[in-house]
Amino acid sequence: MTLVGVVVGAVALVALGGQAVRGNRVVGAQLSARSVHDASVDDAFYQCLDTQAHSLVRPGQTVVLSTDNLADVITMIKGFGSWVTVADPPSRAQVTLTLHDGPAAPGTCLGTRVVATTVGPGGVRVVRLGTGAQVPGQGPPPAPPL
Amino acid sequence: MTTAFATVVALLALSAAGLVPVVATVGTRWVALPLLPLAGSVVAGLATAGSVSFGGPLLDWFVGLAVAGALAVFVVWVVRPELGPWTGPAGRRKGEGRQRVAGAVGFVAVVVACAWTLRGLKTPTVGFDARALWVMRPGWFLQSHGQLLVDLRARGFVIGQSAYPPLVSSAVAVAWRVTGVHTARVGVTTVALLNACALGVAAVAVVDLGRDAAVRLARRPDTAEGDVPLRPPAGPMVAGVVVAVLLVLVAGGVTEPFLTNGYADPIWSLAAVGAVAYGLQSGLDRSTGAVAAVLVLVAGLSKNEGLVCALALVVLLAARSVGAAGLRGDRTRWRVPVVVAAVEVALLAWWPVLMHAIGARGASTAFTTSDGVAGRTSAVVHGMSPYLHVLVLAVPLAVVGGLALSTVRRRAGVGNDLWAWLALAVGLVAVGGALVTGSGAIVPWIRSTVHRITEYPVLQAWWIVGAWGVVALCGLARPRPVRQPDGDDGALASSLDGPVLDREAAPAHGALG
Repeated sequence: MTLVGVVVGAVALVALGGQAVRGNRVVGAQLSARSVHDASVDDAFYQCLDTQAHSLVRPGQTVVLSTDNLADVITMIKGFGSWVTVADPPSRAQVTLTLHDGPAAPGTCLGTRVVATTVGPGGVRVVRLGTGAQVPGQGPPPAPPL
Repeated sequence: MTTAFATVVALLALSAAGLVPVVATVGTRWVALPLLPLAGSVVAGLATAGSVSFGGPLLDWFVGLAVAGALAVFVVWVVRPELGPWTGPAGRRKGEGRQRVAGAVGFVAVVVACAWTLRGLKTPTVGFDARALWVMRPGWFLQSHGQLLVDLRARGFVIGQSAYPPLVSSAVAVAWRVTGVHTARVGVTTVALLNACALGVAAVAVVDLGRDAAVRLARRPDTAEGDVPLRPPAGPMVAGVVVAVLLVLVAGGVTEPFLTNGYADPIWSLAAVGAVAYGLQSGLDRSTGAVAAVLVLVAGLSKNEGLVCALALVVLLAARSVGAAGLRGDRTRWRVPVVVAAVEVALLAWWPVLMHAIGARGASTAFTTSDGVAGRTSAVVHGMSPYLHVLVLAVPLAVVGGLALSTVRRRAGVGNDLWAWLALAVGLVAVGGALVTGSGAIVPWIRSTVHRITEYPVLQAWWIVGAWGVVALCGLARPRPVRQPDGDDGALASSLDGPVLDREAAPAHGALG
């Protein structure tokens, strides 16, 4: 029994030690310059969208997110889904938010801009562009791990 | 307020909510410290369920539940003073000096290892799902009741995971409300620290395993020593500390980058592992049972896979407790585990039932056989297999240990390995079953999630390996007589130089020990 105990204990400790070293490397890889850069760009992109959305929606205004492009809906949810007042039903929304994806340009978030459509007096559609933040470069931002 | 300071404030607020219930049920043990914010996050999750159910701001519910819980505890202490923390943890002997030192050293070592594992937080990553769900929903939870219902129901919002269990987002919502810092980064750091707390609890369980084993080994008089009081051997205690630290580092590798980017997979996985460690692998007493109960709630209130796993763990924990009490014994002996299990099931079921009742998006599971169950099952097995290679080590180790070291295991007070394997199997079935019966295209679904949804079975297997490591070293430890006043026994520290006692010890935990 002593021999078996020695073997079991040794195997367990060696395996744990080896995996611990490997695990330590995996954690260390999170600190690479590329990881830091990608995370910073990703964070800046969504903060930019958030700021632009704030420039377009007054507190309490009901909002619907345009569902023309599913990927854009997800992006908008990630950017400002936590604070917008979702309209129910959508037809009663005061503001329709969508994203305009284009080439890199001043005033855009990696080429993307938040666009608000409202219906003014007399049924006139008013389209406004988000302001207040920009991130230079071309999107989309580097994809974080799923 | 900086992100770091806001995170500390948030953890203190959560800890305050969990303080009285944890002290009342777990006692003043090292493990209680990382358990406090986890218990507070359970309160936050239940507060969200209350807020959605009956209206009222989340923070009011959070404070109200915390105060109500504390008052209930104080009432119990007044009515039954013998249950107060001043009487010491129930069922636990006062530790000897070296056991206390081992506990302190082990706790500090685990904290340092957890902090080292969290260094990934230096990279300001907010994970995809974290930004889309886990640290987005807190904003909903802080909106008015009517708007919150709209957020959860509105079909145009496309996020089908809106009905996922509330704990992670609720803890972040409390953090945002208490600190006033409504950023995704604070959400991620708060979740990361809760992950670290769950990891710390699961690791301290191994420290406690070694300490308790040492004490239990010393309780058995050596046939060669007669009834001479024995000193707990140092070997199991050292083994517990070393294995615990190694397990923290292993867990960091298994769970990164999700440990530090706001995902909910690590917290439910680590909480479930901790629940198994305290509820199924350790010796049974009120304190360890309470730790396990809190961790089961953490796991079940964090994610759907965690919910299924937690419900199964409730059954396993109750079965072990009832088995230890003896079905033929006094009814009051098994009434407590059954009542605890019933309360836990009720708390765990509250959120999913509520989501169904209000018609939240994603609340109804869409079962499918579009690709055929056999085809999906095959894809799941092939997809998960590369991540489960630890089983190639854990299974033979457990078989050899079970055949050759069961006597040592029982004497050391370590639970039967079958319990942990049952829990592991339940976790695999929960995750695999969700994939097989789900409606998503199976191959891309597995490719994008398998590395994190297999965290629980992988971690559980490593904890099983770690437990056998401690048991094996228990088999090599020999308690020495305590030095007598005349100092003639020459006893020094315990050693690893002799075989374990041969006398068969009575099983400590019933049929499955």
